[in-house]
Amino acid sequence: MTESHSKHILSIMVDNEPGVLARIVGLFSGRGYNIESLSVSEVDSDRFLSRVTVVTSGTKNIIDQIKAQVRKLIPVHNLIDITELKSFIGKELILMKLDIKQNTVLKIHKHIKNIGAKILFEDKTVIIIEFSGTPTEISSLIKKMKVYNIVELTRSGLVSMALGKDYIRR
Amino acid sequence: MMKKLSGARIVIEALIQENVKVIFGYPGGAVLPIYDELFKQNKIRHILVRHEQAAVHAAEGYARSTGKVGVVLVTSGPGATNTVTGLTDAMMDSVPVVCISGQVPTHMIGNDAFQEADIVGITRPCTKHNYLVKEISKLAESIHSAFHIAKNGRPGPVLVDIPKDIQTFETKYGGKKHTKSVTFYKPNTKPSLDTIVKFVNLLEKSKKPIFYVGGGVINSGSRASLYLKKLLKITGYPCTQTLMGLGATPTSDDQFIGMLGMHGTYEANLSMNKSDLMICIGARFDDRITGKVSGFSPKSKKVHLDIDASSFNKSVNVDLLIQGDLSKILEMTLKYIENKRISFSKEKISAWWNQINKWRAKNCLNYKNSRSIIKPQYALQRLDSLTKHLDPFITTEVGQHQMWAAQFLTFNKPKHWMTSGGLGTMGYGLPAAMGVQIAHPKDLVIDVAGEASILMNIQEMSTIKQYRLPVKIFILNNHYMGMVRQWQELLHGNRLSESYMDSLPDFVKLAESFGATGLRVSKPGEMDDLIKEMIKIKGPVICDVVVDPKENCFPMIPSGSTHDQMLLGPNDKLEGEISEEGMVLV
Repeated sequence: MTESHSKHILSIMVDNEPGVLARIVGLFSGRGYNIESLSVSEVDSDRFLSRVTVVTSGTKNIIDQIKAQVRKLIPVHNLIDITELKSFIGKELILMKLDIKQNTVLKIHKHIKNIGAKILFEDKTVIIIEFSGTPTEISSLIKKMKVYNIVELTRSGLVSMALGKDYIRR
Repeated sequence: MMKKLSGARIVIEALIQENVKVIFGYPGGAVLPIYDELFKQNKIRHILVRHEQAAVHAAEGYARSTGKVGVVLVTSGPGATNTVTGLTDAMMDSVPVVCISGQVPTHMIGNDAFQEADIVGITRPCTKHNYLVKEISKLAESIHSAFHIAKNGRPGPVLVDIPKDIQTFETKYGGKKHTKSVTFYKPNTKPSLDTIVKFVNLLEKSKKPIFYVGGGVINSGSRASLYLKKLLKITGYPCTQTLMGLGATPTSDDQFIGMLGMHGTYEANLSMNKSDLMICIGARFDDRITGKVSGFSPKSKKVHLDIDASSFNKSVNVDLLIQGDLSKILEMTLKYIENKRISFSKEKISAWWNQINKWRAKNCLNYKNSRSIIKPQYALQRLDSLTKHLDPFITTEVGQHQMWAAQFLTFNKPKHWMTSGGLGTMGYGLPAAMGVQIAHPKDLVIDVAGEASILMNIQEMSTIKQYRLPVKIFILNNHYMGMVRQWQELLHGNRLSESYMDSLPDFVKLAESFGATGLRVSKPGEMDDLIKEMIKIKGPVICDVVVDPKENCFPMIPSGSTHDQMLLGPNDKLEGEISEEGMVLV
């Protein structure tokens, strides 16, 4: 009997102190759990709190185990499983640098306008665009832009929030 | 006005405030300021070990036999890395230990300085938490937090790494009361009443119940043991204990049906397998307990009582979980039973007891004794008979002797049995025995050892000599790493690769060279005299008990097998080959 794996978005409120990310990442690698996406930044500078968003996958037992193990870490104040809430939103940011040539520049501009991306920088050789969306939207953007020459790209990793009144307590 | 104190002085003052009486340690460059402060005071006793691993095991022995936090002090680099095995051991067996390590000064960190090691990075996965103190203002807070974390919730080791410059900087210290500590670390210790009601309902209904008791009961404190004893009496249900749980309630009790697991008794393992209700109290369904998980107690409802939420549904799914401090859970359970005037009929479980007694009648710990050669089981039976009236503290090393000790010795009180269960650390027993003896100077402390394990921390004989610790070392000398040999016989075609212990020291002379008494015995008829003499001698003793080199430890559940597939003795053969799945298990 193989149990089904499912994707979970965990939002974790932690003390913003040295080594806290290593504790979380080390726990995942040491116990053989997956990290599909990770993003972290300070969200409360008065209380030195950071919010970590981890996308992971596993059977129900494994996900429960991950949550219990993460909650045991001393700098972890709170953890919520956003995927288990009624509804939520998940967004990612992408920066993409494209090679431009005389014959593609107009086409690229039109394309960018169509998808609603923002131009951050442009010169004679490259153009850097910014776009935020769901992971699916981002992936489809990358696919579409592949017709041009993508020099490099970077993605922020998922950040997520519950819709409605649910929220992560500090 | 409050006086400014140096970091090193604050360390000592904070330890005094935490009511620390003894620390186990080894000095070095990066902790000299702390050692200097130690020198200037007389409230804390320092025990100088001969290797830092032993310092941690000694602190573990001290902690497990007293219920207090064990404290270790070591220097940076090698001093700190030597503690890793000990800290991992304490982590696996939930022992409260605070380890203070020196570190190179803050401005040198990251420079590959002399005796620098990233010990906070190294010990992150093997401590419950750790601190690198980078500012003097955080020092007192880190130490007090370390004690709070080590002893609350599921206990464990905490390391505090203190750079040398922090030890010399000065700041004000207002004592523990005026120091902020990790206030948000408050594990849920109180269970909800409705889970207690559900629990009692299951208890009432069961016809084939079994209490499966682990070390969590001992960690929870003597009240937990007391309540559990009461609950056992009220229900009349059978009880088995894990290696870590031995002594949680008296093992001489008639309701105790032996240890369970890989080398547990036939009756304990079959009761687990055939039960309709399993009540797991402070244990964690370790692989040594469950055997093959898919065949583990297939028909039972399972209740799990534990303080640690991450122990729930980790390897075995349970039907009812109750999170909380075990003494509180058990107290609430007893109160509820009393208030509701629930009584448990002995009749309802009489068929179950009849069945268990039939399994018991197999006498699974039986072995073929000999008149010419000492059987290790016989040696331990005699040790038990001649010492149990003294309620000795027993520590062990790891291997066959450890399993035989668990099977053949009596544990009538909690905190009297110190063994490395989770990590299986050879070399644990001797330093642990030192820690126990320091805490209980007048009591009989015996390290049941094997000749291989004892050599792993044999340098501690020097510590034993220095502090005149009357530890008794009872070596079952079979000239083999016995458990390794047993597995090689069973699983690897009897190819005894590197498991023979050649070139052993003369343990009698070894004892004498450390100012201890050495005794040797090789005839069964001399066994009792040896033990009596060992007890009589006031100082440390090494007993070299030359035993049958070929004896194996039974019963045994081969890896990858289930509780009803036990080997009961040397004549029991494995049914077919061990599965490939089983072969890769340890």
